[in-house]
Amino acid sequence: MIDSQPSSLDFTGYTPTWCAGCGNWGIGKGIELALKKQQLSPDSVIMLFDIGCSGNMNDFINAYAMHTLHGRALATAVGVKIANHKLPVLVTGGDGALYGEGGNHFLHACRGNHDLTVIVHDNSVYGLTTGQVSPTASKGKKSKSTPSGIIERPVNPLLLALTQGATFVAQGFTAQLPQLAELITAGMQHKGLSIINVLQPCVTFNKENTYAYYIKNTYKLPEDHDKSNFSQALEQAQAVFEERFPLGILYQAERPSYQDELPQLASEALVNKQRFLNNSALLKQFT
Amino acid sequence: MAEQQTEFLWKVGAPAGQGVMTTGLLFSKLCAQSGGQVFDYAEYPSLIQGGHNTYEVLCSNTPAHNRQWQVDYLVCLDAITLKEHEHRLDASSIVVLDPATSSAPTNPAYTIVPLPVKELLAELKASSIMANMIALGASWALVGGDQKHLVELIAEQFGKKGEEVVNLNQNCAARGYEAVKSALPDHAVFAWKDTTETPLVMGGNDAFSLAAAAADCRFYAAYPMTPSSSVLATLAAWQKTTGMVVRHAEDEVGVISEALGASFAGVRACVGTSGGGFALMTESISYAGIAEIPIVIFLSQRPGPATGLPTATEQGDLLFATYAGHGEFPKIVLAPGDVTEMLELSRHAFDLADIYQTPVIVLSDKFLSESRMHLDQTVAEQVMATKPNYGRTIHNPSELPYLRYKVTEDGISERLIPGAAGTYYQANSYEHLEDSHTTEDPTERCRQVEKRLQKQQTYLDHHWLMPSIDGSLDGAKYVFVTWGSSKLVVQQARQLLDEPTAHIHFTHVYPMDREKVATLFAADRHYVLVENNATGQFGTLLRSEAGVDIKHTIHKYDGRAFYSEEIVAALEQHDR
Repeated sequence: MIDSQPSSLDFTGYTPTWCAGCGNWGIGKGIELALKKQQLSPDSVIMLFDIGCSGNMNDFINAYAMHTLHGRALATAVGVKIANHKLPVLVTGGDGALYGEGGNHFLHACRGNHDLTVIVHDNSVYGLTTGQVSPTASKGKKSKSTPSGIIERPVNPLLLALTQGATFVAQGFTAQLPQLAELITAGMQHKGLSIINVLQPCVTFNKENTYAYYIKNTYKLPEDHDKSNFSQALEQAQAVFEERFPLGILYQAERPSYQDELPQLASEALVNKQRFLNNSALLKQFT
Repeated sequence: MAEQQTEFLWKVGAPAGQGVMTTGLLFSKLCAQSGGQVFDYAEYPSLIQGGHNTYEVLCSNTPAHNRQWQVDYLVCLDAITLKEHEHRLDASSIVVLDPATSSAPTNPAYTIVPLPVKELLAELKASSIMANMIALGASWALVGGDQKHLVELIAEQFGKKGEEVVNLNQNCAARGYEAVKSALPDHAVFAWKDTTETPLVMGGNDAFSLAAAAADCRFYAAYPMTPSSSVLATLAAWQKTTGMVVRHAEDEVGVISEALGASFAGVRACVGTSGGGFALMTESISYAGIAEIPIVIFLSQRPGPATGLPTATEQGDLLFATYAGHGEFPKIVLAPGDVTEMLELSRHAFDLADIYQTPVIVLSDKFLSESRMHLDQTVAEQVMATKPNYGRTIHNPSELPYLRYKVTEDGISERLIPGAAGTYYQANSYEHLEDSHTTEDPTERCRQVEKRLQKQQTYLDHHWLMPSIDGSLDGAKYVFVTWGSSKLVVQQARQLLDEPTAHIHFTHVYPMDREKVATLFAADRHYVLVENNATGQFGTLLRSEAGVDIKHTIHKYDGRAFYSEEIVAALEQHDR
């Protein structure tokens, strides 16, 4: 069934093919709510979808988009944002894509503080390839690729983002939609790299990290949590080692974004600038 | 005054870190500014201190295309230089060395001119690196250059560093100059011309950088890798002038991903690398193929496999470039053979990437990337002033619904720059429908495969170029066939041969028009394929793409470029 593009643009695309009860539904809804709340439309935002169950959102949410290679959505977004920093750029992908296959891009995007909003679907498994462990799987987790249990301990996404220099670090839970939409909105409003790790049960392949598990093990950040305090953020992020998952904005800091620091982008978007014509200035260097 | 030379080869050798590249570059500039036609080339091991660096300059009163085997002037700043290069000297060669650091052979078959570098440095209270200026002055006297030019060039080169630095450099050079002048008052020197013109001299990487800037490339990303790194440095240094954004990204996968993102968002984008980095990029090349994202990839080859010989040269990645990326999609590979072709083809590569919305690879190698040679000023200005052809890039949809991957007769659909109001689409790495949504439908799959492949035929019909032909194919004893930098080698070799020869040089190496190429090959002609690799990759490509099989091939794969004399020797051996 081919949907034709509606005359008034709507974010709602194809009906998702996610499993009934999959945490991706909530994240998809959260993104849509956040975009609508900011009065954006599909022609005024660029989204980058990684590969995996989460990445299949490319057909479910309408926008200017790139459905990239596995692990490369974030690196690709860096180029998009430099070419046109006037448009909001969102990245969505799974924990396998962002912390595994594209782990190096993650470190360096944090360092660079690129003005992007990154939404990580963290379900601790590779859903689309039928349930192998992902980088956030608990130590000892048995799966098709680790029949005796995974030896590595899990990546701590929040600590990773914080220590590498991301200036907005938050965690949401797909079942808490209003908060998730708020986190995404706040992340998009933030100038610099926003990492929003979203806890998301995979109802088909992960029988441990279920809705009940997360309801039991998540907690709201304390009232007096100071998100501008790096040490407090680090402390909260370490709770994950005890299987306690803070929800909310752990950290937010003002630091010029990568795009802010590029003088080439000071006046207007790179894509809209006048073409360089002073060839003789370059040629004379070779005489 | 002794008789005048029409051509000479000068070479300097020193340990790495001794500033010998500056000596070489300035010597080459002096030659070019004094009316000589130069071709220069540096060789260096993959390390920062120690080792053995050399710089050689062929200076001629006719166009220079390669170095020559015989070294006429050898300037030794260490003991290794003479040992390494003695076999290229003959009776007329002159060797300059410091008796304090190099022991001169007792009965040399060439002339030795002592240059007391150590002594002079002590006298001038100069640091050891200033030996490079003493060597420069000595070299300029060797070839009978005008000392005035030497003084002026040093002032120009070091002016920014202040008067004291200029003076010290000038003094060192002057002492070197005088030392040789008094030791060799009368010998054959080059026929310098009094000229006010300063010719353009550059290497392949310089020409590529110029092309990128002139072609409206606004985003260049790279991860340093010899021999492509100087493009990154050059374009980065130009950012304030050009407004280009130059990114040194975390790895080559990030490099090309960023460039594809920038291209999707509407700016011309390019990446540069060598074989190892290119290997990491191949998955993304495939993405550019299916999502139809324009991208120019500059690939300067060096010998592999793996880390191989990092600072040496080879034409070893032609087939890899041609077949890079999983799946089937169109791709254009261009292989310039000199700096003029580098400027023209690289400039054109950006147009082709936009017109065909697919990856375009510009192949170089260390020999072409780093050899400096002349480029005609008028040609350079014309090429750089060419207005970009952005193909079917649009800023507003011409009709709604907008179909990003609309099936058309020539395979090319309109590419909308994101941000235009009233529509949207995705650059989809999955197979997709015309409107860009994912599909697994077999009919739609076939339509898109055929659409993409049609672009290759459209390119062959509209933009592919036949190889250039120099000389008459009929009556030629040998018809040389080259691609890339072997052009230079064969151009010079043909000047050394007495027999009539012809030269077919390919630049648009992939894809190629099978029928048209086949017309150039006749059974009664003697074709000689010259490739700087071990397996004859272009020969393989000619067999598969044009059904042409060249039996006589000349290869070199020791990491060094051909000397044209080696081509002549190989033919003599073949005929024997």
